[in-house]
Amino acid sequence: MKRMKKNRRKRNEVVTAYAFLLPNLVGLTVFVFFPMIYAFYVSLHDWNALSPKVFIGFDNYIEMASDKRWWASVGRTFLFTLIYVPALYCLSLFFAVILNNLKQKYQSIARTMFLLPFAITSVISAVIWMFLYDPRNGVLNQFLSSLGFDKLEFLGSTNQALVSIVAVILWINIGYNMIIFMASIKEIPKDYYEAAKIDGASAWRAFRSITFPLLRGTSTFILIVTMIASFTVFDQIMVMTSGGPASSTEVSVLYIYKQAFEFLNMGYASALAVILFLIIFILSLAQLRLYTKKG
Amino acid sequence: MKLWKKLMTIGFVLTLIVMAGCSSDSDGESGDTVTLTFSDFHSEADQEFFEGLVDEYNKVQDEVKIEYTTTGNLTDYSNTKLPVAFANNEGPDIFMTSPGDFQKYADAGVLADLSPYFKDGVKEDFLPSALEAVTVDDKILALPFELELLGLYYNKTMFEEANLEVPKTWDELLAAAKELTTDEVAGIALPTDKGAYLNFIWYPFLWQNGGSVLNEDGTKSTFNTPEVAEALDIWGSFFQEGAAPSKLQIDPTDIGNLGGGTAAMQIVGTWAIPMLENEYADGDFGLAPIPIPEGGKPATAAGGWKFAVNANSEHVKEAAEFVMWAVGDDKERPLKYVTETKFAYAPRQSVVEEGEEFYDKGLRKVFTEEIYDSAIPEPKFGAEVVDAVGEALQNVMFGGMSGKEAAKIADEKIQSILDSKK
Repeated sequence: MKRMKKNRRKRNEVVTAYAFLLPNLVGLTVFVFFPMIYAFYVSLHDWNALSPKVFIGFDNYIEMASDKRWWASVGRTFLFTLIYVPALYCLSLFFAVILNNLKQKYQSIARTMFLLPFAITSVISAVIWMFLYDPRNGVLNQFLSSLGFDKLEFLGSTNQALVSIVAVILWINIGYNMIIFMASIKEIPKDYYEAAKIDGASAWRAFRSITFPLLRGTSTFILIVTMIASFTVFDQIMVMTSGGPASSTEVSVLYIYKQAFEFLNMGYASALAVILFLIIFILSLAQLRLYTKKG
Repeated sequence: MKLWKKLMTIGFVLTLIVMAGCSSDSDGESGDTVTLTFSDFHSEADQEFFEGLVDEYNKVQDEVKIEYTTTGNLTDYSNTKLPVAFANNEGPDIFMTSPGDFQKYADAGVLADLSPYFKDGVKEDFLPSALEAVTVDDKILALPFELELLGLYYNKTMFEEANLEVPKTWDELLAAAKELTTDEVAGIALPTDKGAYLNFIWYPFLWQNGGSVLNEDGTKSTFNTPEVAEALDIWGSFFQEGAAPSKLQIDPTDIGNLGGGTAAMQIVGTWAIPMLENEYADGDFGLAPIPIPEGGKPATAAGGWKFAVNANSEHVKEAAEFVMWAVGDDKERPLKYVTETKFAYAPRQSVVEEGEEFYDKGLRKVFTEEIYDSAIPEPKFGAEVVDAVGEALQNVMFGGMSGKEAAKIADEKIQSILDSKK
């Protein structure tokens, strides 16, 4: 008797759990899984969005292999990721450690200040930075020339545009990642640091041997999430340069957008999106294995 | 068991919500009236004009009811809203198209042939070149209602202070732009970002020098010629020599660059005149035809939006009738738009004649007397050709390429695009 009751209760719990998950599952299916499968289906067609789809098998994928502009955009995305991910990781960890040593009162003020850019809509922050970056009347150049430096072209130069955009996205995201780091630093038991102090360890040594290793879980999370985000970067670039000057900031997602909505090559754009998905997927898996293996 | 019932209920409600969100409640017809959707991108005064137009039409007849919506943003409209709507088979019955994207809609067969709906004599009233620009295989696929021409606007005070003459040749234009450039003022404001507008402003330079993008029947690229290379070089030199800013704070379509005093010259269209008169009335501004190369012939580009009817609509006839009523019937409605709402030329002779006195007011006189005759309609290339031309421009502006190199690369690209379309 008792056992049956227990079983029933357990079953009821499972049902309740699924009932709570249901709205989310429906959302995911309708807005994420279905579009993903549909994108793959579309990628096998020649489709301009206006007339019916024509099935062409893997022709889009074959065409992509020799599309220099696509591979150049993939290269640019990698370059962006190589600059952005390490910079974001190091800076947010650096600020998290520094802020963690501040008094509680200053800590919360500083934290709020760092997080503020994150609360601004991406398009608006892009526009604000366009004003700051303006080659002639922008604040940054006024500042540089008051210090006696040459003025820079920023977004108007093929060499500086990508780095300028990286700086903006760093400015937006450092605060958020810093807070995640701060939260996990707080989890580390104080005893470790006390013990290290007694052994005469320097602050740097304590960071290297205690803080950094114990943040591995958080680091893995942040590195993977940031890498995915940097492979799908779009809004700020679209607003600030729309891929220019001379294609120097045309990253993969921007090129996919152009193929889809400017040239109306929906099928081809879907094929590119599928490949980009695979690239991200493989890189994420590789990263996950790399970081968890070390332990 | 009770829990299963609850679950069923929740599931049922959720399904209902999802279904309600996806279904559209307009069936097109309610009773005898036909409901048509009309979507465009206008804002402010233009939006008011089209709202008024739709209201009036809904009042003067009761067979058709038009529902007007606007996105208020040109890029969102052409790049997102329309393609997505058409992809879902929910394209509006009536919409607008520009030379930059006319061809892709024409290729896809969503533009209805409007020729059967012209009233007697109206077709002849249109400027032949304006209709030619929207004709494919003898079908008139869109109806132009504005012709916007380009000219060189300049700040008279700055020219006087620098003791400069208004430039008439390319060399003079470049020299003046360099001379007038200071830390605060750009010599000339030109579009910087790739897109149809960049090409649109450059086409006059191309045509003045006798160059072209494609041959007459649009089957071959004619981009790899010295004429094209020279036109690219002069354009690139404004940017390479620092006379045109590499980035603008105010949109290049907006005369605010000149009006606000951050540029001494700007190449913009007819639409800038009301802005200059209303918002920058204090300044002293002049207007001249775009300078020409040595031995070249004057040319300017004529752009402008066109009405289009969705060929897949169930009510092509009703939609076409509205479009004809709006701009292809009496003279008052189209004239009001091109004279009061904004400044442009009407593509119909009778409308231009009707507004004759208006076309001589202030700077408009320069357009009417010195620029109008050299107008060539903006070509209707496919989006990928537009992009290849834009890439050539970007390469001479920022990529450090010579016009010759950039023209050669673009020529190959354009030819391969044309070949793949066959």
